Amino acid sequence: MTTQATAPRDGAAANPLRAGLAVDRITDPCNIVFFGASGDLMKRMLLPAMWNLRLEDILPASFGIIGFSRSKFSDEEFREDMRKAVDEFSRSGPTKEPLWGDFASHISYVTGAFDDLGAFKRLKKQLDENDHKLGTSANRIFYLSTPPSVFAQIVEQLDAAGLGQRANTKGWTRILIEKPFGTDIDSARALQTEVEKVFDEKQVYRIDHYLGKEPVQDIIALRFANVIFEPIWNRRYIDAIQITAAETVGVEARGGYYDNAGALRDMIQNHVMNLMALVAMEPPISSKAEAIRDEKFKALAAVRPIEPNRAFLDAARGQYDAGAIAGKPVPAYRDEPDVRPDSNTETYAALKLWIDNWRWADVPFYLRSGKRLAHKNSEIAIRFKSIPHRLFGELGDSIDNNVLVMKIQPEEGISLRFSAKVPGPKMHIRSVSMDFNYGTGFGVVSAPAYERLIGDAMRGDATLFTRWDAVETAWNVVMPVLDRWTETIDETFPNYSAGSQGPPSAERLLIADGREWRKI
Amino acid sequence: MKVKVRSNVAASIEAVRGELAGTKLSTSTMNLVVWLDDPERRSWVLQRADLLGEKHPSFTLILDRTGTTPGATVTTADRSDDVHLSVQGEHVLVDVVGLSPAQIAEYVTTLCPRGVPTELWWSSSTSSARPVFDALLPHIDAIVVDSSGALPDARTLLDLAHFHAANPSLALRDLAWLRLRPWQEMIAHFFDDPNLLGELYALRSLTIASGSDAEAFYLGGWLASRLGWLARGRDAFADREGKEIAFKRERTGEIRRVRSVELASGTSAYHGEVTDDPQVVRVWVSGEHARDARLFTLQAIDNASLLEVAILQRGTDELFATALSNAATLLGDEPA
Repeated sequence: MTTQATAPRDGAAANPLRAGLAVDRITDPCNIVFFGASGDLMKRMLLPAMWNLRLEDILPASFGIIGFSRSKFSDEEFREDMRKAVDEFSRSGPTKEPLWGDFASHISYVTGAFDDLGAFKRLKKQLDENDHKLGTSANRIFYLSTPPSVFAQIVEQLDAAGLGQRANTKGWTRILIEKPFGTDIDSARALQTEVEKVFDEKQVYRIDHYLGKEPVQDIIALRFANVIFEPIWNRRYIDAIQITAAETVGVEARGGYYDNAGALRDMIQNHVMNLMALVAMEPPISSKAEAIRDEKFKALAAVRPIEPNRAFLDAARGQYDAGAIAGKPVPAYRDEPDVRPDSNTETYAALKLWIDNWRWADVPFYLRSGKRLAHKNSEIAIRFKSIPHRLFGELGDSIDNNVLVMKIQPEEGISLRFSAKVPGPKMHIRSVSMDFNYGTGFGVVSAPAYERLIGDAMRGDATLFTRWDAVETAWNVVMPVLDRWTETIDETFPNYSAGSQGPPSAERLLIADGREWRKI
Repeated sequence: MKVKVRSNVAASIEAVRGELAGTKLSTSTMNLVVWLDDPERRSWVLQRADLLGEKHPSFTLILDRTGTTPGATVTTADRSDDVHLSVQGEHVLVDVVGLSPAQIAEYVTTLCPRGVPTELWWSSSTSSARPVFDALLPHIDAIVVDSSGALPDARTLLDLAHFHAANPSLALRDLAWLRLRPWQEMIAHFFDDPNLLGELYALRSLTIASGSDAEAFYLGGWLASRLGWLARGRDAFADREGKEIAFKRERTGEIRRVRSVELASGTSAYHGEVTDDPQVVRVWVSGEHARDARLFTLQAIDNASLLEVAILQRGTDELFATALSNAATLLGDEPA
């Protein structure tokens, strides 16, 4: 069996001219196959990401892009379709010649259904041709940007067509799998069983695009590239942590999928719990992928699962009713296309979790995510404890707790709230905010997460991808709540208006602890 | 806000401080001190300093000896709450015509906030400003120069090498060197293929066409430092086995720009040549290891971006230091 490359291969690493140059430009020659290539994600995100990687010379000289889906396209038609997509969605603006022509000459297309072994054999033929024609050295990435229901089927067909790693004796093979990885713990394990029949864990890159966002990576920098935060990053100084992923959008065209998923599966189990792991983990021994993933796993493994009998005390769910977003009326969830009119699916979920270790004992982690909320806002708010003894402040002044907020989207940056004296003869104290914003701090527009993640996968850097043990552990945490919610019809649904802060039950979750949610 | 201050040095500094005291800079990444003494390049330099100030919240101090604007001008960014994403920074332009080096240094020591690095962009190409440079040196954490384009730029490069040798711990950046990064990337690209790695040690000639000399000497110096070549006069290197590598230079095209590079071994030649689009290079290999032509994009070659790269770097740059030292060895003691 060929050893899986997880770092730049020896040849590139041995190139003496590379010393001091950007290592992120060293990628092996390879093909990347996009399953679901006629879909929206491909047009809006994936192909524009490939184009920008090309413009930045991160793609190797020898590369191939192969689209695979059921829609019928010739190579030329597919290239033209992709050009239109790049023109519309790329951050670098419309394509220009001769670069596009050069890039497009590396793109080809295979029409086929995911259960059609013949199509996978045609794919293999195309890959072999590319190896010969483009010099892609039998290195292959399979990107599954399809509905999760066909993940296992694609993996099976790849194996049957001789495209699994174990059949590739000349190069490496990696597989990128979009979230969600399973719909519950059992289906996740079943999918993992299928995947590990064909691929080793080191070859599997589970995408959670939140992890590719610049501010999410900055969590690690903030914690471990500064000396001032880590000493107070524990139960002695921190009162509580709130992690929010709020959206104003509804289910859009994904009603059919979402009605079988819900907020807990769609956001909390992956995006939000990944953020929690980055905030809660111990310092890794290095910045290498496995060191960071080890610590993330340990943090998740220390999360106390919510007991079934507390599923309605330590968790809250909601479903949006009709309302208005930015003054524009929007329908109720149950009136959205492809949603059951009596749906019991939550569009809002909130959890109170505890991490049972020395650092975090007795510090609650409040997690929430919802659709059709007042504003789009993803953030992590670290609320510090009150001062132990009040020295300052006139009668009526309140001294607020310090709060450190890591803003993920739409704003990207860090904000620290602290107390300061109001100018004047009296000792009035007021909270002030010190803000760092990526837009003004560094004057750069962060590259879309997919560019970072695809580039990392090509280099074999798995740091920003989720390992199976973390996926499984996150499912273990949410399963008791998921089970109780599934078996219990919520008679209060719909229980929050579109454009609001969420359901009253979520407010009660914090009120019971003498706290309140930050305004979305 | 823009305020004109016309007064003597002490009063001018006080007036500028008064204006700055009313601002509320919330994030500051650096002090950028810019020396300006060439009227013809004044707007070019100011524009790039402004671009940098727009991207990085900073205190920018322009020391202007062109005599264009008397007095001092203080500009602060709009900090109204409704302009949430405006860049926050202060910009002070001071006329320093007729001031002594010590008086000029006084502006830097008095006005630049403490606690953030102070970067000097030295845009002068005349030796008459050297006393000012020496006066500013103790107050500076890093210096940015551009050795390319000056006449003769080989002389400038040699002076820079001597300066660096005398001040090895000072963070020195040369825009002429930074401008070559995409070309280094391009050359390195050829030899990422393990099958071609051996070719690096079989090179017999290096040919560089550029609009000024600094680029050719820097690229030659860089390759020499990476591959263990030794300079044999200005037109040849010797590799580790003592075999000669011819070094040919051709002056063509715009100053500060490379037009083409060719590295040749006994069996193959590796070519890169700018296309009609100055940001795109056509690369190909001819001979035994022939490869079809492909296009390579040059990243961040505009000066504002280079300046940004220069100020974002921290500490000494070993790669630059060895390339500069090799370029100086190549140039010998005899300037052109």
